[in-house]
Amino acid sequence: MLREFVALTRREYLKLARNPQAIFTSLLLPLLYLLLFGNGFTINAASFVNPEYGPFFTLQEALDFLFRGAPNYYSYFAGGMVGFVAVTASLFLGANVIFDKLFGIFKRTRGTPAPSAAVFGSRLIAGATQPILLSFFVLALALLFGHIPGLHGLDVTATVTPFGLVEVLLAIVLLSGLFATLFLTFGILLDVPQTYFAAVNLINLPVLLTSDALYPWGTMPTWLQNVSQYNPVSLAVNVLREVMFGSSAYPYSPGIYLLGLLGWTVGLVSIAIVLVRRALRPLE
Amino acid sequence: MEQRGRIVAENLVKVYNGQVRAVDGVSFEVNAGEVFGFLGPNGAGKTTTVSMLSAGLRPTSGRAVIDGLEVSQNPEEVKRRIGVIFQESTADGDLTGLENLEVAAGCYGISASEARSRARTLIEQMQLGDAADRYAKTYSGGMRRRLELAVGLVHRPRVIFLDEPTLGLDPQGRAGFWGFIQKLRKDIGMTVFVTTHYLDEADEMCDRIAIIDHGKIVATGSPNDLKDGLGGDVVTLKTHAGASEITTILQALPGVHAIQHSNDSYRAKVQSGETFVPLAVEAATRAGVGITGVTVKRPSLDEVFLEFTGREFREEEGPNATDRAVMMQRVRGQLQGRR
Repeated sequence: MLREFVALTRREYLKLARNPQAIFTSLLLPLLYLLLFGNGFTINAASFVNPEYGPFFTLQEALDFLFRGAPNYYSYFAGGMVGFVAVTASLFLGANVIFDKLFGIFKRTRGTPAPSAAVFGSRLIAGATQPILLSFFVLALALLFGHIPGLHGLDVTATVTPFGLVEVLLAIVLLSGLFATLFLTFGILLDVPQTYFAAVNLINLPVLLTSDALYPWGTMPTWLQNVSQYNPVSLAVNVLREVMFGSSAYPYSPGIYLLGLLGWTVGLVSIAIVLVRRALRPLE
Repeated sequence: MEQRGRIVAENLVKVYNGQVRAVDGVSFEVNAGEVFGFLGPNGAGKTTTVSMLSAGLRPTSGRAVIDGLEVSQNPEEVKRRIGVIFQESTADGDLTGLENLEVAAGCYGISASEARSRARTLIEQMQLGDAADRYAKTYSGGMRRRLELAVGLVHRPRVIFLDEPTLGLDPQGRAGFWGFIQKLRKDIGMTVFVTTHYLDEADEMCDRIAIIDHGKIVATGSPNDLKDGLGGDVVTLKTHAGASEITTILQALPGVHAIQHSNDSYRAKVQSGETFVPLAVEAATRAGVGITGVTVKRPSLDEVFLEFTGREFREEEGPNATDRAVMMQRVRGQLQGRR
């Protein structure tokens, strides 16, 4: 099992390394979002502050309400972009399986006794690497922009401890793993690219648009806030934002959000195992 | 009987979607070390049979035994003991020839160092040494087929299935590929099961063949036995349109085994074409029937196919056969779509 897994994982990394265009394109999307969307879409929290009549009497009150403690929209948005990237960069995992089926490569693997766990696991591990690295790339880029005059950037206001960094890492790994599992399962179950992309779009947009990845929390209607608090993207983003900006605007600690995210991941992986084992059983 | 390297198919049936009966009660045995040809036109059921034998497809009914193992009971172990060269190219174009082999070896649980060693040896054997570190997408058609063969052999199987292995290759590429197969058989003594619709290849390379048509085996035997079974030469006589029938007259000539009449032509199986033709022309002329054309054929597998199916093999490669093959690919695709 281990040798099969190692061989197939090596294949995935070799293919990834030999496709620089895909790496470049995957870097371009978050870069454009951070530069254009993040810098173009700003909300000035200070304009909501009126020390005499409210609605917010202090800037911190306004920041807590609008951006859950982040010092400005860009910083709030940069945390959300990590969740956005983890979802969108995972989309291609399933597409790669579909194209391997079309080119006969998947058939070759199926013709060997390599267990389904090795076939799925190798693609999951290698495939999830990309969204994980991209998530850190987004954070680094947003921090860098903060030091470039004329650009908005990520401003970390809390003291980030090593434990906090571990929490961020866990959130990114769990979220990337969750969506990598989801889209990889789609790729294994479906055979036609058009069907795959239709199914992915059906999941992708609603998931992102019912999260607080991009919307300022305070401007979301209550029903959307209620939906959003269970969304896995929001759960991961909450961990990041709490670690970077403090916990004053959050009802739960990062550990609770991580547990929620773990629940989502375990649930989805369990369903995926059943479906993938059935799909990849030796004899049809 | 020695089971090692042996293939047994017993009344194999495959029905797709409850409607399309792709394989309809196929039975045969292949002895260890034999090169067994499985012939038939496109859509006849060759690939479906190979899929059932190689643990890729569960038969609707019947059983397959490979190397002493019942396939449906031991699919994983059967996969370890067989190699399959698929009809379509399955080499990973973004990987080098060596990497393709190393990954394939890893899928059989072979250690990385052993995989490297085997990959290097095989790639040299297949005369791909100079291209070992090139991406497979830069290989020519013949090179890719040799790489496919190497991939199928990397775990040293006892039985190898070749599904239309020379499809799309030029004559030189086909000859070269078969050279490798013959060498392997000589060196390793492995059982080779090959599907093809190149009858000349099968005639020359196979110890025994089975002909499948519309999902059923219509003949089995060595190429020579099947050809000899036709009873000598085959002579085709063409007459003027509307001429009187002369079947009885021709049948009465010496050395004639059988006469088939259709439209304005007579197909005679005779002991000797050279002796029969002048007698037939004379007898027809006496009966007032003009002969407008004569062909004499030494028996070939084309003739064997015609004998057992009533149709020319090449006719079966026409549009109807293509439609059937496309339909079969679609139903197989639909099935995969549910996986």
